[in-house]
Formats: sequence, C-alpha cells, structure tokens
Amino acid sequence: MKKIISYTALAILAIIFILPFVVMVFGSLKEVKQAQIDPLFWLPTDPSIQNYVTIFTNGIFIRWIWNSIVITIIPVITQMLFAALLGYIFAKKQFWGKETIFWIFMAVIMIPQQLFIIPKYIMFADFGWINTYWALIVPELWAIMGVFLVRQFLQGIPKDLEEAAYIDGANDWQIFFKIIFPLSFPVIATVGTFAFISNWNDLFQPLIYLTNEKMFPVTVGLASMLGKEGNFGVEMAGATISFIPTFLIFIFFQRYFTEGITMSGIK
Amino acid sequence: MNATTSKQENKQSLGAKIKREFNKNLLVYVVLIPVIIHFIIFQVYPFALSFYLTFHDWKIIGDPEFVGLKHWKTLLDDEIAWKAIWNTVKFSIYYIVPTMALGLVLALIISSGVKFSGFFKGLFFLPVVTSFVIIAGIWGWLFRGTDDGFINYLIGFAGIDPQLFLSSSSQALIVLAGLSIFKVAGTTMIYYYAGLQSIDRHLYEAARIDGANSWKTFWKVTFPMLKPIHFYVAITTTIGSFQIFDSAFLLTNGGPNYATTTIVYYLYHQGFTSLNLSYAAVLSYVLFFIILIISLIQRKYIGKDPNHY
Repeated sequence: MKKIISYTALAILAIIFILPFVVMVFGSLKEVKQAQIDPLFWLPTDPSIQNYVTIFTNGIFIRWIWNSIVITIIPVITQMLFAALLGYIFAKKQFWGKETIFWIFMAVIMIPQQLFIIPKYIMFADFGWINTYWALIVPELWAIMGVFLVRQFLQGIPKDLEEAAYIDGANDWQIFFKIIFPLSFPVIATVGTFAFISNWNDLFQPLIYLTNEKMFPVTVGLASMLGKEGNFGVEMAGATISFIPTFLIFIFFQRYFTEGITMSGIK
Repeated sequence: MNATTSKQENKQSLGAKIKREFNKNLLVYVVLIPVIIHFIIFQVYPFALSFYLTFHDWKIIGDPEFVGLKHWKTLLDDEIAWKAIWNTVKFSIYYIVPTMALGLVLALIISSGVKFSGFFKGLFFLPVVTSFVIIAGIWGWLFRGTDDGFINYLIGFAGIDPQLFLSSSSQALIVLAGLSIFKVAGTTMIYYYAGLQSIDRHLYEAARIDGANSWKTFWKVTFPMLKPIHFYVAITTTIGSFQIFDSAFLLTNGGPNYATTTIVYYLYHQGFTSLNLSYAAVLSYVLFFIILIISLIQRKYIGKDPNHY
C-alpha cells in the first residue's frame, strides 16, 4: 500500500517535472504552424532541425553563447582557485585579524545583492565598464561561499599531513599545490559547479550592465527573443542549446553539487 | 624539537624575526591583500555609496546634490511602492509553504526506497540548475491565456472555462509563484533529504514496536525530528521570496495593473527604466531592512552557531 502511494506520487511528480523539458526539446523540433495548432505538443509528427539552423544562421546567437562562455569560464576558474587558497588560509593559517576578517566577509553575503546594483552601476559607468565583460567578470573573481565550503572541509582534516610535509622541508606553496589542492578537490569542484550554474544563468546583472545586444549573454539574449512576438520553435531551439552546458555540468557533478548544497546549509 | 626551534629563534635578531614571520605567512599576505582590496571596492564602497545616494539626487552626469530625506519621504507617499511590498508579501504566502511541502514530499519519496531514486533526485533537481529564462519561456507558453493554451486545453477536459492566467491581475502572481515553486523545490528537497538521512533508525523501530502506522510515525517521529531543517528552509525560502524578480520581468513586466510588481522589480523599474537611481537605492535599502529583520529572527531562534548558513 505504502509502495503504491509512493510510486503513484512519484509518477505524477516526475511527469510534472519532466514536462517543461519535453516541451522545450519537442518544441524546438517543430515547425511554427504545428506548434500553434497542437496545444498538447506531443511528438513532432515531422521533426526537423530547421529551427536550429535558423538560430545559428541569424548570426548573433553564436555571439551570445560566446559572451556567456567568457563571463562564466573566467570567474569559475578564479573562484575555484581563490576558494582553495582562502579556504586553506582561513582553516589552517594563523594571522592577525583572521576571525574578524572572515566574519566580515560572511556578514556581507547576508546583504541582498540587489543593494549593490545601483552603486555598482554608477561605479561601472565611471570606470567605462558598461557594455564590457569587465562589469561581469571582475566583481565575480572570488566568492565567499566557496571559501566557506573549503574552510569547513579543511577544518575536518588532521594537521599531521601538513606537518609531515613541513618537516620534509616543503614550503607553503608546495603544501598548498601538492597536498591541500588535490585533497580538497571534491569541494573545489562543487565551488566550480556552483559558480558555473549561477554565472551562466544570471539574468539580473547582465541585464543592467549591458545594453548593447552584441554583448548579451545567452540569458539576456533569449529574454529579448521572448519579449518580441517571436517564433516559439526557434526560441525553444535557443533554450535547448543554452541548457546543454548546464545540463552536462549537472550530470557530471550532480553528486558534488547536491553534497555542496547540504554542506553549505545544515551541518 | 620545539625546544630546539625556540633556542634558534632566540639567537636571531629582531629584523630577522620579522622577516621570518613575514616569509612564514607570505602566502597569506599575497592572497589576502588583493582580496581585501577587491572586497572594499566591490562590496564595502558600494554599500556606503548606496546609503549616500539615498540622501542625494544623482543623475550620473554632474555632481550629486544633497536633498536630505526627500527620497525617503517619496517612499511614504508612493502607493506603487507599498503595493510592491504587499505583492511581495502575497508572493511569499503563495510560495513558502508549498515550496517546503513539495520539497519534503519529494525527499520522502526518493528516500522511501523506490527504484531509480538517484535518477528521480536528479530530475527533481534539474529546474534548480536551469535558467529562469528557459523555465519562464516554457511556462509562459503553457499558461497562455488563450483558448488553445496548454493548461487551458487541459482544464477544458474538467469542464473549466479558459483562464487569463498571466494577463489576469488576480491570477498572474499565483502563476509566477507556481513557476518559482517548480524552480526551487529541488533545493528544499536536498535539505530535507539530508535531514531524513540523519534521523536515528532506532526511533522508527521503537515506533513500529509501539504499533504506530506510517501516517502516525510521520507526524510523531519524522516531522518533529526535521525541526531544524524546517526552520532553516523557512528562512532561506522567505529570504529568496523577497528577492523575486526574474519571472516578473520575463513574463509580466510587473503587470497587469502592477499586480506582479515586486520590490526588486520596482527597484529595477525605478532605477533603469525611469532612471531614478537615488530612489531605487532607497528601495534597495527597504529590501535590505526586510531581509535584515528576517535574518535577525533567524539568529534569535537558530542561535549563533556559525555553521548555520
């Protein structure tokens, strides 16, 4: 009985959760006319990749994908590196003001990011960063959340490993790159995955700092397509393409990612 | 070993000691100093600038002009601002409990020993990693307010008349809440899943021996044992609900008749459509104070355990 309830609920919820993705992929394979006639959107009777051809040949879409790659990859790499370095420093090193600095950093993530939007817009206008990658890359070079995760992880690691390395004459850099970095890689991968997903999907910041269509990441580009009286099939083709990178990252790092959520929340 | 080291240290001059100390922590300084500078430029300074801005008129070009409490007074008489706050509260009401309930149900299902639970966990989590733009694009299409809209077509089978959905001022906010619930329930599920794993198996055995059925076991054992998770999820979901923006921007542009104008949407609208940057800064402080109050409640009830983030 309990099993029947579980499986029925599971089936209904699974259909609800998978439906939007089915609509997206099927929609991308359908012709405009069929999309409008057939509200239930079952399997395309005559699947075609025409929508994909259309979106890639309209020129700007490839540019949007490229912009997304640039403003995602650079912060992902630096956030992983800084999470590892800072996490190591805050977990294992002793220096003046360590606790204070860390808790000031932590306090700031409690502030809603929307509060920084207006002043940052003014600053970036001053720097000449509006409509450039700088506005979206430089502020994202490191993030405290990742530092927190690595610090938590390293605090649980016994000091013996490092001490043995010190006795063998290794310096901080060697210890960091040869011991700490490989050891904490699962957490660092989590940080990278988080950074990838949040930067790739970010809508709010690029929407504000970019006005030139050529500089749009794929999120803002797609949103601008949705706003116009567009072609649903082409929009869904764009959505499917922009979904693939996050989907692949998710498939490969799912275990780390869900663990990371748990770790960043309740211990 | 330690004794030898300290003897050697004593022999060194003060300058050498400082140099040694500096070298010992070279890694710390090399990494931390640029990070602190970055932090001051991109976090501390904007925070202060935003506050300064709320007392000035500033059009980017030209000098800021001190206007005192003018923008704060505008807020008091601004009906749309109050409506935006009220909309955000309403959104929270539609959103918080269903998100928690759905997350808990999903967690219960995947931890109940069903086959392919890993696959389903992934499926339920998928919307979390998917861009709001994609999900909103699909939902906007599903909830088209026309007769041939997907949902209207479905409810037609149950004899329900077609609804306006996103173009109805009474329904639009509910549809947006539904979209957000779908988008984030996976995160809630993960927290509950972790919580369920940590409940002591002996409690279930004891309940079984006492003859409790599964319904009773759930309400007497599982649900109360998840109390810290309920609280944590309630707080994070509430904070998230006050920052809602993407779906209102993508699907309704705050309308119809301001029915989906939330605090952040209004902030965006004032700042970047009407170019009232100072007033938008005031609105961002309103958001800040609301979230601060929620966080203070969190501290009061969860305590000061630094691991609770």
